[in-house]
Amino acid sequence: MTPSEGTVPSSFRDPSGFLFWHQNELYRQVNGAYKEHYDHLIASGLYRELQAEGMLIGHEERDLKLARSGAAYKIIRPALVPFISYPYEWCFSQLKDAALLTLAIQKTALEYGMSLKDASAYNVQFVSGRPLLIDTLSFEKYPAGRPWVAYRQFCQHFLAPLALMAYGDVRLNQLSRLHLDGVPLDLASSLLPDRTRFKFSLLSHIHLHARSQKRYADKPLKSKQRPMGRFALLALLNSLETAVKKLHWQPRGSEWAEYYGHTNYSDQALEFKEKIVADFLERLQPRHVWDIGANTGVFSRLASVRGILTVALDIDAAAVEKNYRQCRRDNEKCLLPLVGDVTNPSPGIGWENRERLSLLQRGPVDTILALALVHHLAISNNLPLGKIAEFFSCLCRNLILEFIPKSDSQVQRLLATRDDIFPDYHAAGLEKEFQPYFTIERREAIAQSERILYIMRSRSHAGR
Amino acid sequence: MNFFKNALKMSILAAGCLLLFPVRIYSYIDPGTGSYIFQIIIAAFVAVSFAVKVYWHKIKKFLGQLFAKKEK
Repeated sequence: MTPSEGTVPSSFRDPSGFLFWHQNELYRQVNGAYKEHYDHLIASGLYRELQAEGMLIGHEERDLKLARSGAAYKIIRPALVPFISYPYEWCFSQLKDAALLTLAIQKTALEYGMSLKDASAYNVQFVSGRPLLIDTLSFEKYPAGRPWVAYRQFCQHFLAPLALMAYGDVRLNQLSRLHLDGVPLDLASSLLPDRTRFKFSLLSHIHLHARSQKRYADKPLKSKQRPMGRFALLALLNSLETAVKKLHWQPRGSEWAEYYGHTNYSDQALEFKEKIVADFLERLQPRHVWDIGANTGVFSRLASVRGILTVALDIDAAAVEKNYRQCRRDNEKCLLPLVGDVTNPSPGIGWENRERLSLLQRGPVDTILALALVHHLAISNNLPLGKIAEFFSCLCRNLILEFIPKSDSQVQRLLATRDDIFPDYHAAGLEKEFQPYFTIERREAIAQSERILYIMRSRSHAGR
Repeated sequence: MNFFKNALKMSILAAGCLLLFPVRIYSYIDPGTGSYIFQIIIAAFVAVSFAVKVYWHKIKKFLGQLFAKKEK
């Protein structure tokens, strides 16, 4: 939900400035304390270079009268990111691409006499299919001889979770959700298998780095530390880049990533379903779509190819990885695959639970696609149909929903290992439970199957 | 060859760092100082291989010329 006024809750730590909403527009106040660095960013040509390379978000300078405090030096209006996502919602390759972008920006910044003062994964967002740095105030003039102040943060936000995903389990990315400033290196070091100690890059940047943190934990930094030359800094960045590039993860063999290989849809029924969904999308003309339970994005693409910005959410990291790789390969600009569990969506985390938004706070969206999803919610997760209807009505204005009856083999498979305690699970029962929250606008049976597709309009968001 | 090079590099680094950072547990962890100091050490270490990488063509050319002169 986009507020029309007020400071953005994630933007209060940096004394250089902050983001705020005013009359439905997003602005950034640049404080006087950051003047020297902001001017250098613009005058040195670094901003132009990063813009040209599609690495940094663009902005326009606006009237200083919009300032929220006397500390203001400039007011800028950054381009709007259509959907904010977080590192714990990214698949392996998304985090890896964001890490490589951060290092590439740092290398470019050094050429212009600047350096990144933070390397937070939250400063990167996916826009038009590519990672983009969204914090214009992340740069500072590079004082010769100073080590990279963001080295620790880079290791915690990027290298540690990537290594844990590559050498441990891809689900360990969820540690980023618990630890707001990245995965602590001592934790990463203890979780990584011993064989990673034989990889030079991981031995140094994670294991020994963690040890060093413990060693110096209670010692103040002496004011005259040995300086670190520019060449040594470039060597460090090169070493980090090599470390990230060497990390790989192959999605294979998960239940969902192979889903379309063993559904009971005939080719013709699948084609028919695609045609109806496409027809529904044409009728609704949404600007944004969330495809929940999107798998590898087959149906999400029905929306994204129409230029509709589509978030493809799935619980399975392998399916999301496959989806993202396809987006990257085909240079798809309107599709954003994300990892997420709709039965336990991303909560609001950080200070006051407001620094990182919950999934619900990022809605409501124009249209939700919930295809072959409700039986998982109702039967696998014991969620009453009324609760499902209420949840969707908070999240969207329109709903394209597929209902799969008990007689379908997919549902039979779910019922094989549990008692059938779902007497109201049938099309009439679903319609009855959804009626208080939605008006059912269309109902189409999918030929050669027993499934039904619906268009529903939320009663609570009607007319918005 | 690469394997032995890597193994040697890691053994020297590991031995050096074990001497530098004996394990101690503290109730309060401030990772800032350790990261700051560690990167100076590790940067000095990786700078050597980075220099070889960056200047490899010049080194090769220099060695080539050196041996060519000797042969003459």
